Amino acid sequence: MHADPDDIAALAFDPGGASHGVVRDHVRSCSSCQSLQVSLASVARGLRESADDGPLVAPPDDVRRRVLAAAMSDPGVSEPTSPLETTAEEPATVLPMGPARARLRGVPLWAAGLAAAVTLVAGLGIGRMTVDPETPAGPPVDVVASTDLTSLEGAEPRGLASAVRTGGADRAGDVVTLRIDADALGGQEGIREVWLLNVDGTRLIAVGLLTAGDEGEFEVPESLLDAGYRIVDISVEPDDGDPTHSGVSLARGELV
Amino acid sequence: MIVVALPARPHGRYGGSVTHQAVRDEERADDVIARLAARLVAGDPTSLAEVYDRWSALVHTFALRSLGRAEDAEDITQQVFIAAWGSRATLTPSSRALPAWLLGIARHKVADRLGERAREVRRLEAAAVGVVEEVPDGLDLLDRLTIRQFVLELPEPRGTIVRLAFWEDLTHSQIAKRTGLPLGTIKSHVRRGLRQLHERLEEVRDDAR
Repeated sequence: MHADPDDIAALAFDPGGASHGVVRDHVRSCSSCQSLQVSLASVARGLRESADDGPLVAPPDDVRRRVLAAAMSDPGVSEPTSPLETTAEEPATVLPMGPARARLRGVPLWAAGLAAAVTLVAGLGIGRMTVDPETPAGPPVDVVASTDLTSLEGAEPRGLASAVRTGGADRAGDVVTLRIDADALGGQEGIREVWLLNVDGTRLIAVGLLTAGDEGEFEVPESLLDAGYRIVDISVEPDDGDPTHSGVSLARGELV
Repeated sequence: MIVVALPARPHGRYGGSVTHQAVRDEERADDVIARLAARLVAGDPTSLAEVYDRWSALVHTFALRSLGRAEDAEDITQQVFIAAWGSRATLTPSSRALPAWLLGIARHKVADRLGERAREVRRLEAAAVGVVEEVPDGLDLLDRLTIRQFVLELPEPRGTIVRLAFWEDLTHSQIAKRTGLPLGTIKSHVRRGLRQLHERLEEVRDDAR
C-alpha cells in the first residue's frame, strides 16, 4: 500500500506539519513514495524560488516580425509544381489554366510551400473532374483553381474543392462557384461550415454550410480569391450560437 | 458572409464545483495546445504566431538570464522559433510534447551560444560566467521559469491559491480568509496544484534535456 499522493504533496508543501505523522512514517519506509516526496519537495522549492525570478520578459515586437517573416520565406520550401506542367502530360486537359497560374506567381513562398504537397495531385484532380466521360453535357466549365482537401494532422485525403466559372450568359464577371466534394469527413457531431482562409494567415470568411452530405456549391466573388482567400477549410461547428470558427477543422486545401 | 479573426473560440468561464472545474479547464487547455501542435506539424503558418505568442516570453527570459546580453537573447529567441518552424515535422502533435520540444530547442540554442562564447574567448573561465546552472537534485533556471509560466496558466481559483501559498507564503487559513473559500478547498487546491505542476514539469524535462 502506498500513501495518497495528495498527502505526500501536503507533506512536501509543509515538511514540518504536525498532522503528517503517518505519511511521514510511510514515506521513510517506502522508496517509491519517498522518491515522489523528494521530487514534489524540489518542485515546491523551485516554485517558491520562482517568486524571486520576477516576471517573464517578452522580447521586443520586431523579433516576432522577423520570426514570422523568416518562416514565411522558408528557403527549404521549394516552389510547387505548376498545375500547367502537371496537366501538360495529360492531353485531355486543355483547359485554360492561365488565371490560376498567374495567381500562383503572386503567392509568397511559404504559402506555396503550404500548397506544394497538394499541387501535384491537384493537377490530376482537375484532369479527373474535367475529362470524366460521365459528366453530362452542360454549359462549358472553366476551372479557375482547385485543390485536394486533406486532414490537418495526417494529410489524409478528404476530397476535392474547386473554383469554377460557368459559362452562362447571365453570369457576372466576378462570380465563381466554389465546389466542395468532400470525402471521409468523419462522423463528428455538429454543423459543417465552409470557410475561405486568407493566405496571410490572419483573416477568414465564412462561405456557407455543407447541408447536403459532403457536397456543396457556393458562389463567391472571384476577387476574393485574388485577395488571397484561397485556403478552403471545412470546420465542424457546435450549435452554440457562436458565429466564429470553432477551431476544429476537418479538411483543408489551398486553391491553386 | 462575415469576416472574423482567427483563432476564434474564447476561453470558458469559471463556475461550479471548483476542483472539478479546474480539472476540466486543464483538459480544455490541453486540447487547445494539442490542436495548436497539430496545426504546426501540418505547416499552418498561423500556428507559429500562436506558439510564439504563448512561449516567446519564457524562451526570451531564459536566454536573457543565461546570456546576459539583450541582443543575444533576442537573437536566440528568433533562432529558437525559426528552428521550431523548420523542424516542425519532428514534433509529435500532442499537448504534452509541444512545450517540451520547444524548450528543448531553447536549451540547446542557449548552450550552443555559451559554447561559442567559450571558444571565442578561448578561456574556460569565460564559459563559467554564463553557464547554465546544473542543479542535480533541484530545479535550474529554465525549470523555474517554466514553472512560473505553468503557474500563470493555472485555471482560477487554483492559480491564485497557488500563488498566495508559494509566492506570498500565506498560510492556508490566511488564503481562505483572503479568497472567501473554505479551508478544505484551499488545502485541496494547494496539493493538487503542486502535483499538477510536478507532472507538467516532469513531462517537459524528459524531452528538454
